[in-house]
Amino acid sequence: MGRYILAKLGQSLFVVWAAYSLTFVLLYVLPYDTVDLMFDPSEAELVSDADKDAARAHYGLDQPVVVQYATRLFGALHGDFGHSVRTGENVWSMIFAVLPQTAILAGAALLLAVIVAFVIALSAAYTRSSWLSQAIASLPAAGVSVPVFLVGLAILQVFSFQLRWFPPIGNNGFASLVLPAVTLAIPVSAPIAQLLLKNIELGLNAPYVTVSVAKGASRLWVLVRDVLKNASLPALTIAGLTLGNLLAGAVIVETIFSRSGLGRLTETAVRTQDVMLVQAVVVFAAIVFVVVNFVVDIVYPLLDPRLRTRVLAGAAPAAG
Amino acid sequence: MTRRFVGRATALIAATAAAALVLTGCAASQSVASSNVGGDPVPGGTLRFAVLDAPANLDPHSGSSYPESLITSNISDKLVYQNPESGALEPWLATFWDVNESLTEFTFHLRNDVTFSDGTPLTADSVKENFDLLGFGNKELGVVPVSAYWGGYIGTEVIDPSTVKVTLDKPSAGFLQGLSMYFAGILGHSTLQLRKEDRALPQNIVATGPFVVTEHVYQEKTVLRKREGYNWAPASRGHNGDAYLDTVEVLVIPEAGVRTGALRSGEVDAILDVNTTDEAPLRAEGYEIVPQLIPGRDIAFDFKTDLFPTNERAVREAVKLGWSRDALAKTVLTDSYRPSSSVVSERVPGYADFSDQLVENQDEARRILDQAGWKEGPDGIRVNADGKPLTLSLLAINNLVINKPAFELIQQDLRDIGVDLQLQVLPIPDYQAASKLQGKWNVQVFNTSRSDVAVLEQTYSPLFTNGAAITSDNPVRQKAIDTFRAVNETLDPAKRAAAAAAAQDFVLNEEVLSVPVYNPAQVTAANPKVHNVGYEAQSRNVFYDTWIEQG
Repeated sequence: MGRYILAKLGQSLFVVWAAYSLTFVLLYVLPYDTVDLMFDPSEAELVSDADKDAARAHYGLDQPVVVQYATRLFGALHGDFGHSVRTGENVWSMIFAVLPQTAILAGAALLLAVIVAFVIALSAAYTRSSWLSQAIASLPAAGVSVPVFLVGLAILQVFSFQLRWFPPIGNNGFASLVLPAVTLAIPVSAPIAQLLLKNIELGLNAPYVTVSVAKGASRLWVLVRDVLKNASLPALTIAGLTLGNLLAGAVIVETIFSRSGLGRLTETAVRTQDVMLVQAVVVFAAIVFVVVNFVVDIVYPLLDPRLRTRVLAGAAPAAG
Repeated sequence: MTRRFVGRATALIAATAAAALVLTGCAASQSVASSNVGGDPVPGGTLRFAVLDAPANLDPHSGSSYPESLITSNISDKLVYQNPESGALEPWLATFWDVNESLTEFTFHLRNDVTFSDGTPLTADSVKENFDLLGFGNKELGVVPVSAYWGGYIGTEVIDPSTVKVTLDKPSAGFLQGLSMYFAGILGHSTLQLRKEDRALPQNIVATGPFVVTEHVYQEKTVLRKREGYNWAPASRGHNGDAYLDTVEVLVIPEAGVRTGALRSGEVDAILDVNTTDEAPLRAEGYEIVPQLIPGRDIAFDFKTDLFPTNERAVREAVKLGWSRDALAKTVLTDSYRPSSSVVSERVPGYADFSDQLVENQDEARRILDQAGWKEGPDGIRVNADGKPLTLSLLAINNLVINKPAFELIQQDLRDIGVDLQLQVLPIPDYQAASKLQGKWNVQVFNTSRSDVAVLEQTYSPLFTNGAAITSDNPVRQKAIDTFRAVNETLDPAKRAAAAAAAQDFVLNEEVLSVPVYNPAQVTAANPKVHNVGYEAQSRNVFYDTWIEQG
């Protein structure tokens, strides 16, 4: 087991290092000049090349790439990812300043999405009217096909500008969280609901259900006790994988609702070529991904006896 | 020999205002700055003000984006104040100044009652420290000098605790106006000794302005609080003493529709960056629409004269005549914007009206192209004797929403006379990268906000940015250098006006180096209870005279 954990740990570190190195290469290859971007386009024309060179030297961008890479990797190992060229702040603290906002938004949206998905799937499976069932079942498809952008603006128009129930902008408290969370939950709930529905359908036709029904169980009892239990496991797995979806959606939702957060920070960093910040965000994402996977890798053998035997026998598990 | 430029503050205002009036040809009559006059101002309250883009760098010397300079214009003062209505230069932190005959020595006499927000007094040493950083930069601290305005800076000498003398190596009539610009704010000693990245942090910024930054959440909001005991406003402002507003919250709302919605629902009191399509409806609903044209160089098609086919004067002239300014005004612009009538905005002192020459005349454009040997090809695009098509590549920034529709309209019109204009209208980083490609773009488009005709030298002179790419073997090179230099060699109103007119004529008619398109504007929409929505001379919002009806 110890060797297994060490191997997994090694893999994780490799992924983080690769993410760091890859972004470094990409950022270096891009045709943008970080120094140019520090000046407004109309002003940039007026800054002499000598002054730009001085600024370049200040940020260490005049060094050979290998030296830059080594210096910055060494700094990163000590937790120093540098300063944003736009705000002057330490990039790591910029990320941590907005992280809670996005975590809360994503958490609320995910919770809402799971609830919505279960409600949709259960209602579609429970109802005996086939047209109604189909209508409910087609909701997830509708959910993904409407752009998040439009949903957000429509919700804002109605619930904020017309009814004035919720504030349209900002990060202050529960009231300001509702509309963004709902907006983000809609596209996220769709794939979860679809998977649930499919598994419920499969489950309803499974032999063990036929047995239950033969024993005289009601439709709801069968749905909840037998089918849902088996159908929800893969759906919850999908919910976990939805993390990426949530973060991508956060970029749009945070922009529409004028919230500060990781999504918007990333978008701005990329748009303004704030290289240090972009790199820190990528490495941060890699760390989150790696940690989640590491935990899963460690926990899986504990839960699954078949995997545990293989791990103890020293064979590499089939799935990473 | 030193000539006392103007002795007393009041005399200076009168004289410079009169001079500016001569220079602008009474352009001052257009509506600018303060808006509604609605009763007596009452102090107190919070103004919630929404902008499009997030201010990131709050260092007054280097934060150059619009929202950044908007913040820094409210927290820092300059030695010289440019009156946004008349364009005249007036006293601010300097009560008066002397300029030598050759315009190379500027002696400033400072107010002696000014303090920074950390309590330290403004002295001649403070000014020297600021100017040396602006003029020389500081490699160790990573501070880049502001070259365009400080070119030829030799140094600043402290004469006595309230007098400094700046020396330049060549005449610079535009220098005084440069000192009134938003990046010339005077900062305290504790700020100036910091490295560039630390200077951008709000808690480190110490200045003398009527507001201080108390809270700054990147991409969310910046909170300004009025400074008690502020007493050195320029005399021509609406009042002196503390600002009326207790606080100003500058909120970032990236989505145009949400900004307008937030104004309508009362979530914010005023918004900047109003969508052109929202102006009329908002006005109809009773909101105050307060536009101000941005002074400086208009959005203009700058031709590269070293590149085929814009190296041919005939081609440049055809582009000047080939499209309709009326159609532009009617279909793309609102009343807040103006089609260009010169290469500089009508708000720049020294502006001359060229609207007679900047007109559509497609027949004349065709005649000029015919004469130059450009014959219509099979697809309607003209070709020259060698069979090369009349295709121009244009590079522009999409930072202003009406840029693209405006250029597309011109593109259509030019097609009628056989000119193929290829547009690349890009976001800022892509624009920056693309503009590095030498010899690719026939036309480059951007505007420069600076309310002084010296803006022409900094943009077009082969000694500065050389916006028209005038090569060293171009026969007009020396004339270009001399023509643009002339605007910076005199402060005599009549002589400067003549030099300014000659420089504009050189750009627009003599060499056709640029075809100006439209004068961009800042547009603020405000709740009617908000009064005196104001702008400083370069059209950054200033909240010093703004007040809100209470209750």
